[in-house]
Amino acid sequence: MSSKSNMKFFYVGIAIAFLLAVLAPFLASPDPDGLESAAGGVVEESKMSQIEEMEPVVDSPMPDYSIEGLGKSGEVLAITVGTLAVLAISFGFGKVFKKKA
Amino acid sequence: MHIPDSFIPLTQAIVYWVIALPFIIMSMKWAKNELDEMKVPVLAALAAGIFAIQAMNIPIGMGTTGHMVGATLVAIVFGSPWAGVLVLTLVLLVQGFGFADGGITTFGVNILNMGVISGFVGYYTYVTLRKSTGTSIAAFGGAWLGLFTSAIACAIQMWIAGIFPLVPGLITMGTYHLIIGFIGEGLITAFVITAIAKSRPDLLEDSFTARPEKSKKEIHA
Repeated sequence: MSSKSNMKFFYVGIAIAFLLAVLAPFLASPDPDGLESAAGGVVEESKMSQIEEMEPVVDSPMPDYSIEGLGKSGEVLAITVGTLAVLAISFGFGKVFKKKA
Repeated sequence: MHIPDSFIPLTQAIVYWVIALPFIIMSMKWAKNELDEMKVPVLAALAAGIFAIQAMNIPIGMGTTGHMVGATLVAIVFGSPWAGVLVLTLVLLVQGFGFADGGITTFGVNILNMGVISGFVGYYTYVTLRKSTGTSIAAFGGAWLGLFTSAIACAIQMWIAGIFPLVPGLITMGTYHLIIGFIGEGLITAFVITAIAKSRPDLLEDSFTARPEKSKKEIHA
């Protein structure tokens, strides 16, 4: 294994990640996921609406991978920013926690 | 399968945090012992790719969608389920704080389901299958079973939380995630692992010799 071929893996990997980030808002289905869908099916309506009224514990800057008023381009931007954030945090973590030579 | 804050009472959320915490710490220990500098870009690229692919919801019929989780994929590439726990922890951190996907009180339970349960079941199923079948089939089977098992765990947690009735919850969550696990987790994991096996067989060298960590340590000692 060489660090050069790992860098190649890295470039191919982030190219795929950013491609997905750009395509997801157009290709992804807006329907609920398995958990939400199951909740809609097996939980009584009164209890469900009670749950839905509860706010998340912290306010997220870009809830549901969107930016208010920016439509699809906002979603592309949100997922791209998120991908960059994961990349930066993973690198930062790797730098701090990696095996000491 | 991201559980939002509103689905689990705080006291139970704390219990799941307490269970998840040792796994998170162990995943950091794994990085300290096994993650050499050359592999950091591989880890970062996988984490970024998994974040992006989790935004890609695939329709599975019945008005429902699902997306890949990815812990099994990461575990196979690094030959350790701890790598899957680590990457999912980082991805869920960004999703919870940045995008209200999952939650903060439920960060612990989401790590437990998607990082620990799906990664451990997926990886060790892969290791077992790999002894008698090829890489692609083993990766598919591991990823599928890992995702399905975590959905069953999630249905039980929803029952304990008083949100889902037990049997209908298990049946509905089970049915949806059998399909999500087949397409969103199994096929994609098998495809990516096969592609890596062809282009970078060296990366997967110790992916199924169970505990490569130990043998390496012995060499160093």
